[in-house]
Amino acid sequence: MSQRQLTFHIFRYNPEEPDAKPRTQSYVLPEEPGMTLFIALNKIREEQDPTLKFDFVCRAGICGSCGMLINGKPTLACKTLTKDLPDRISLMPLPVFQLLGDLSVDTGTWFRHVSLRTEAWVHTEKRFDPMAEEERMSNDTALAIYEAERCIECGCCIGGCATANIKPGFIGAAGVNRVARFMVDPRDERSDQQYFDVVGSEDGIFGCIGLMACDDNCPIGIPLQGQLAYVRRKMAVAGWKR
Amino acid sequence: MQLQRALTPGNKTDFLVEAAQTVSGLLLVGFLWTHMLFVASILLGIQAFDALAHFMERFRLLDLAVIFIILTVATHVGAVLRRIPGRWQEQKIVWKHAAIIRHPDTWSWLFQAVTGSAMLLLIIIHVFVVVYVGIDATLSADRVHSWMLGFYIVLLFLAEYHASVGLYRTLVKWGFVKRHSLKRVLTVITVCTIGLGLLSLWAFYSLGG
Repeated sequence: MSQRQLTFHIFRYNPEEPDAKPRTQSYVLPEEPGMTLFIALNKIREEQDPTLKFDFVCRAGICGSCGMLINGKPTLACKTLTKDLPDRISLMPLPVFQLLGDLSVDTGTWFRHVSLRTEAWVHTEKRFDPMAEEERMSNDTALAIYEAERCIECGCCIGGCATANIKPGFIGAAGVNRVARFMVDPRDERSDQQYFDVVGSEDGIFGCIGLMACDDNCPIGIPLQGQLAYVRRKMAVAGWKR
Repeated sequence: MQLQRALTPGNKTDFLVEAAQTVSGLLLVGFLWTHMLFVASILLGIQAFDALAHFMERFRLLDLAVIFIILTVATHVGAVLRRIPGRWQEQKIVWKHAAIIRHPDTWSWLFQAVTGSAMLLLIIIHVFVVVYVGIDATLSADRVHSWMLGFYIVLLFLAEYHASVGLYRTLVKWGFVKRHSLKRVLTVITVCTIGLGLLSLWAFYSLGG
């Protein structure tokens, strides 16, 4: 099989240059066996254009820094093999998050803000006793918590969400999934009414219009449809009783 | 906490509006499918259709249906209006977004807004015609021999599409079903109801003008 020439159409924009307009720049690169977008982008930066901005840290689908729109699909660049893509590849940064330049966005500020708003920590009146035996938890509960905890906060579910694109206050699937994690955790003593105060609104679960781009695009396969529906049902009951 | 939030604590209106949208939507799907079955009684002959129509008129079921449809459509429209991006900038964002991410369910939501808006106008005309003219097989036959044939075909497609996508979205949001098998089932139902509607229109058409 002959070697493919890949053409990358990459979104270029530097918000710090007030006169600059967003544009698309093209780069041609010969494909190599086992090439990921992590390798391709680094090659482009090293060999063709040192000004190109993009984020990678772990290059193994764990840190969640390299979320971007790859031919429109919000996903992780480090997990994407070029052999699964056509010859022409378009790369754009994730929407919703603050654009730092080219493919680089600031997901951290957004996620920290959502964590604070949803009070994403265990609320309990119990005093921690380091000498006491750890409280037991059923295996099913532990697995349900771990399932939600697998979120790496890459922001693909947020970038792909039409609602998040137009409503800055919407916490999106990542935010709802975060709350679901505490809902199943028996150590969190919050009542359903307290959760309702946090997510029982248009900014929370009732702002979701069910397009399920989050569920379709989550690069690590968290069952977001199920998580959203779980919180929705729970909050509907809480809202009804209110 | 801000003053405006402190002054409006424990607000559950967002939930109630969502509930109103869901319940009215489900009722409208039920209404639409029943309606299409009743209209299809023309396939059993003029007598069957007229008997059903006269039965509904005699027991005031037609009036009830009209009141029901006005109230339910009004509730549904009132509830879903908040979902339609109101600002021009937001409209541009969602259309651009759908075009960039190429996600079928995102497109179907935009079509949902478009078909819904168009249907509102068509349903008002449809209800007016039925209320002022009444239901009768020969009247219907006359009507489908005019420009109204196009009107009914368009309304049929819009209504079935809108109902199918809306039902899909509701069941997906509340999470009682697997998405992909649900899509298949609803596609089959939609094709069947559109087919039944077209057959009924053809039956009226073949009655002659």
